[in-house]
Amino acid sequence: MERPQNSVVRTPPNSTAVQRRSKSKSYRQSYRSCLGAASRLGLTPGLTARRLNSSRRALKSHIITEKVNPDHLALLVKREWRLSYITPLHQFRHTQLKRYSRQLSAFIAAEKQQGVAVEVEGSQSGFRVSFSVVQGLAATDDDAETVLIQIFSRPVFAKQDEPQKSVWSGWLTCINGNPEYLQSLPKGFTSLPLFGGSGAEVLTSLVKSWFQQTFDCCFGPLEINHTSLQWLAALWTNCHTESNLQHLKMIWTLPVVPPLQITYTINPQDAWELWMSVRKDRLEKTEDEEEAGSIDIEEVMRFVQGLKSHFYRHFRLDLSAGNLNQVSTALGSAKFSGKIKISNSRYMITTLTLLTECALLKMPV
Amino acid sequence: MDDSARRLLQRLIRRIPAQMLKPTLDKWDRLTAAHRQSMDFTESKWALTEKLLAICEENEMTVKHITELEMIHVIENPDHSMWYALQLVDPEDDAHSVELTQFKEQFKSHLRELIRHVSIKIKKHTDEAVWIRIAWGDSFSRPNHLKPTYVVHHLQTPYVFVTSLTSKLKPLLSQALVLSTRYQAIKDASLSGRKLTAIRDLLMRQYQQVFPTKYPSSLVENNQNASNILINKEQAELAASRHQKACEAFGDGMLPQLQSAVYKLETKFRDHTNKTMTEREEAFRCVVKFASTNLLESLRHCASSGISSTPGTSLLSSIPLKGRNYFVITDNGPGPSSQTRQPPN
Repeated sequence: MERPQNSVVRTPPNSTAVQRRSKSKSYRQSYRSCLGAASRLGLTPGLTARRLNSSRRALKSHIITEKVNPDHLALLVKREWRLSYITPLHQFRHTQLKRYSRQLSAFIAAEKQQGVAVEVEGSQSGFRVSFSVVQGLAATDDDAETVLIQIFSRPVFAKQDEPQKSVWSGWLTCINGNPEYLQSLPKGFTSLPLFGGSGAEVLTSLVKSWFQQTFDCCFGPLEINHTSLQWLAALWTNCHTESNLQHLKMIWTLPVVPPLQITYTINPQDAWELWMSVRKDRLEKTEDEEEAGSIDIEEVMRFVQGLKSHFYRHFRLDLSAGNLNQVSTALGSAKFSGKIKISNSRYMITTLTLLTECALLKMPV
Repeated sequence: MDDSARRLLQRLIRRIPAQMLKPTLDKWDRLTAAHRQSMDFTESKWALTEKLLAICEENEMTVKHITELEMIHVIENPDHSMWYALQLVDPEDDAHSVELTQFKEQFKSHLRELIRHVSIKIKKHTDEAVWIRIAWGDSFSRPNHLKPTYVVHHLQTPYVFVTSLTSKLKPLLSQALVLSTRYQAIKDASLSGRKLTAIRDLLMRQYQQVFPTKYPSSLVENNQNASNILINKEQAELAASRHQKACEAFGDGMLPQLQSAVYKLETKFRDHTNKTMTEREEAFRCVVKFASTNLLESLRHCASSGISSTPGTSLLSSIPLKGRNYFVITDNGPGPSSQTRQPPN
């Protein structure tokens, strides 16, 4: 396929542009059309009612330590990742990872030559890049396998056995992605819509540039909006009986002068009892285990509303006037700016499913 | 000049910002004019430290002189560590007539009785505050001048502010304070913060307070958006009354720069839409922390912009009212260091 001469890659504003690339007649549906939403022309969907439309979410704690390499898991948990969304990658092969490692390594070296400041530490270190597949995370057959990227610094005068220091790591993943959408992708495209990076910002942007050049994709910042943050608060609270939450902490900012930050930390047992009381009606009515395992958005809303009204009773301040910036528990923490930390591997699948959905919804195509 | 004095001086010069060095040394007044001229204040800190060390060696200055310099610096810049407020309670009959020399003598002698090796320096500042610097030793070792405690007490008031005091030494200081000020006891005032001036102003109500008036036209709302006269007229009254209530609750003009307030809530959960939780016997435990560069101003703005309603009845108005920023709220009667409040439904 022909690459554009300039290095600027723009996401096609509507799906007809995509049609040009693929050989097949049918063209890829935009994600929103899969949901039955109308707009194909709009660059941004204005369909706030349809955001995160799966209001039912099956909840399972997955013991994934058996399925996934524990070394990989150790790299993924307890670290804070900055999230982005990625449009589908063209001609990405999971079998070519060694070649990609060499190419990215060379790319970073070339950029360094050109004067991009990639010194992380030491003036003479080179970089060694390693791409690997994290087997076992993909939840369905449609999900592409998660790819993990690590960049090690390679000091010029390193001894043979010296352990190499990892200066940057990142991953691309798709967990429980919408099957209709994934199946409608034309041949040659792989969708790994969620990207997380941790390390020097310079390296993150270099990795992104390389991906954009090599696979004709587009990156964009992914914020975790307040609905998703509330989902995470509820999902994590739901797990209190299995793994101790230690606390449920939510941070709001009120738009006054000077800005006021409110940190609301709730005892985990009390938070859990409130959550259970909200779920009680639902659980009593249904016998079906499948139903009982899934959570509705209304329950999440009522849970958070309960917390807000308790706050209001004492302080006469409605937290809805502010912005929810952060939710954190012992199981993980999530920030509005798009940073996530998963502290317990058990809930990784659930959390990543939610984030994959956010990424797919945020993508402009 | 011995080792500890040298170390103390080095640490102190490091702490003092470059531009404050000359004025602080001038205030200290222990260097002769010749010395002062010989010091070039455009040199690096390190060079200045060496020069100053040399001068002090020459003049055989001791730890006593260096601690004077430190005290001058801390009095000018008290905002570098956390200050805690204490309050003296139950005054004796002659508590109100305690004056400076009596307090100084009594405090020194009581503290020296309680702990053998201690170095005390007392200085009265221009604004009626008595500053005390205490370097603690114990029965075996000399006072440690690298970790001094500073105490500020305003005579004739029951308020004391303390910084850098370990819990081990607190009872000794409390005892000395109680005896020398002629009160019966001292308690924790549940107020802490980095800015000494802020917590002092808050506790001693030294900011512009506003009292409820029937005709609130004295406080003018500064809203110049004249887009639609009728809307403005309607909104202006509401805005003015909100502003008035906000100022009644929190004060007017410049407010003490408090930075945080913590509420530990242990009240029952009451919500008519949630029967299960309302019937629950145990308290719903949570901790709420409010933080801002100027907390009281943020809260006042919340009230005047309408984000918070009825600021007078909220727990937040207790901050300026009671001069505290740490509260434990329960449903029941008063506990030892708790503030009780039955929130209206």
